[in-house]
Amino acid sequence: MPLLEISGLTQRFGGIQALSNFSFQMEEHELVGLIGPNGAGKTTVFNIVSGFYASTEGEIVFDGRRINGLKPHRVTAMGMARTFQNIRLWNDMTVLDNIRLARYSWLGYGFLDAVLRTARHGRAEHAVETRAREALEMMDLSECAEELPKNLPYGLQRRVELARALTGNPKLLLLDEPAAGLNSADVEDLIRHIRWIYDEFGISIWMIEHQMKVVMSLCQRLTVINFGSILAEGTPEYIRQHPEVIDAYLGDEKI
Amino acid sequence: MQRYTFNILFFLAAVALVGLAQFGMLDKYALTIITFMGINCIFAVSLNLVNGYMGEFSCGHGGFMCVGAYAGSLISVAFFTDSKLFGSALFPPELAPVLFPLVLLGATLAAALFGLVVALPSFHTRDDYLAIITIAVNYIVISIVENIDAIGGPRGFSGMRKTVNAMSDVVNVPWMLIWTILGLFVCVMTIYRLMTSTYGKGISAVRQNEVAAEIMGINTNRVKIMAFMVSSGLAGLAGALYAHVYGYVNAQAFNILKSTEGLVMVYLGGMGSISGVLLAAVAFTLLTELLRFVIPWLDGVLHAMSLLPAGYELSQIWKWVIIPLILVLLMQFRPEGFLGNRELTQVFPWIKRWITFK
Repeated sequence: MPLLEISGLTQRFGGIQALSNFSFQMEEHELVGLIGPNGAGKTTVFNIVSGFYASTEGEIVFDGRRINGLKPHRVTAMGMARTFQNIRLWNDMTVLDNIRLARYSWLGYGFLDAVLRTARHGRAEHAVETRAREALEMMDLSECAEELPKNLPYGLQRRVELARALTGNPKLLLLDEPAAGLNSADVEDLIRHIRWIYDEFGISIWMIEHQMKVVMSLCQRLTVINFGSILAEGTPEYIRQHPEVIDAYLGDEKI
Repeated sequence: MQRYTFNILFFLAAVALVGLAQFGMLDKYALTIITFMGINCIFAVSLNLVNGYMGEFSCGHGGFMCVGAYAGSLISVAFFTDSKLFGSALFPPELAPVLFPLVLLGATLAAALFGLVVALPSFHTRDDYLAIITIAVNYIVISIVENIDAIGGPRGFSGMRKTVNAMSDVVNVPWMLIWTILGLFVCVMTIYRLMTSTYGKGISAVRQNEVAAEIMGINTNRVKIMAFMVSSGLAGLAGALYAHVYGYVNAQAFNILKSTEGLVMVYLGGMGSISGVLLAAVAFTLLTELLRFVIPWLDGVLHAMSLLPAGYELSQIWKWVIIPLILVLLMQFRPEGFLGNRELTQVFPWIKRWITFK
C-alpha cells in the first residue's frame, strides 16, 4: 500500500485552474522531488495535502486514511510534517520552545494539569524537553537553544524549521523549497542534513525545489508540473533529458 | 529556597497589609483603593491573556466582568441572605467565610461559560471583526441585565453587603481585602503557569504565526477558545470581588468605559508581560484616584488665574480627557508599554538571583 496516494486532484481559485487532474503516488521510504516553473501549482499541491485548502475535486489517501477536508493539525497528528518556502518560525520564543511546541499533539495533558502542575504535567514536560534537546542535538543546534530564531542567520533558521518538523516524528516530510535563500555552503549543509534524516529515520520526503543541484543529488524520482498538470515523471536522469521539460523549465542550461 | 522567595514575599506583604488594615493603621479610603487596585490587577492581567499573549483585540472585557459580578452577587444572596428573589438563605450566615470561595468560583465559571458562548461563533473572525463583536457583546450584556427587572434592572442589585457582614460577624478581619489578595494570587499563578507550560505556549504560537501553529499540530481554534474562556472567567472573578467590595452592582459600571480602562492598563504595561500589566494596573488606579484631587485643584487654580469662565466647573468628566491623552502620548513615544512584552526579570536580570517563580 502506498504511503500517499493522490488521485485526480483539481483545484480552482475563482476562474483560475491552479491544478488539474494531478495524480501521484509515494511509497514508504522514498525521496521524491516536485519541480516546475513558478506558478505551476507546486505549493498548491502541498497546501492541499497538508490540509490548508480543501481541493475542488480529487482524493488524497495518507497512511491508509482519506484526509480530504481534514484540518492541518489533524493531518499533522497523523504523521505528516512540512516546512515553508518563507520560513515560519515563532520568532518571539526561544529555539527550544519552538521545537517543544512540535510535540503539542502528543502532550496528553490539559489546562488544569498545567495550572495545578500535576504529576502528569511534570512527566509530559520532561518527555517533551528530552525530545526537544535530542532534536537540537541531532541537527547541530544545541548551542542556539536559548536564542530567538529571528537573531539567527538564515541557514540556521532553515535548520531549526527542519528540526521542528522532525520532532513530531513524521512518516512523511514535505519540504517547500528548503534551499531557497541559502548560500552555497549552506546548501551543501542542507543536502547533507536531508540525506542524513532520510537514512536515519527511514521516513519519506517529498520536496519542492528550484535548485537543480539539490534535487538531482537527493531525489530518486521527480515529478514535473506545468500549468497545474503533470508534464513528466521519472528518474532525475530521465527528467534531465526530457525535451518538454527542457523546453518548459530547465532550458538549455547545462546541469 | 529561591523557588519560594516570591511566594514568601507575597505572603508576607499580604499579611502585613491585612495586619495594617486590621489594626486601623489604614483608613477606610486607603483600604478601598488598595482593594480596587487588586481587582484592577485581576481585570488587566486577564485581558492581557487575549490581547497580549494571543494578540487578538478584545474590546468588551467589561461585559465578562459584568457577568461575573451579577453571577457572584446572585449566588451570594441566594446562599447567605433571605431575599425576595430566592426566599430564605440556603446556608446559615456563619458558613459565609468558608463558602465564599464557592461564590467566587461560581462567578468565574459563569463568566467563562459566557466567554465560550461568545467565542464559539466569533472566533471564525479575527482582528477588527473580533474587536467589533466584543464591543457589541459588551453592549448586549448591559442591555440584557438592565432589562431583567428581577435583578434590579437599571436600578442595580444589592444585598451582598450582608454576606460581607456575615463574614465579619464570624471573624472580624478585612475579608474583602483578603479575598482580593487571594484572587489576585490565583489569577497571576494561573496565567503564569499556563504561559510557562508547553500547552499554554500554544497561545503565543497562535499570535506569532498562526499558520505554523496549525501545521505543527496545534488546534488553533481550540487554543483560542481556551484562552478566551480563561480570560473571561478571571474577569468574572474580578467582577464578583468588585460587587462584594461595593455591596452594590449596576450594569453601567461595566460599560465600554470599563473595558477601555482594561485596554489602557494592558497597553500601558506592555502586552504579554504579567509584571508590566500589574505595574500598570497599580499605576492606573493611583492615577485615577489622584485625578479626583488634581482636577478640583486645577479647577481652583484656573479660576484663580481667571482662565476659565466663572460659570464653568472643571468636573471629573475631564478624567476621560486626561486618561486617553496619556494613552495617545504613550502610543506616540513608547508604543510597547512600560516593559514591552518582557517580564520584570528579563528587564532586570539581577532579580532572578533572588527570585525564581514556580
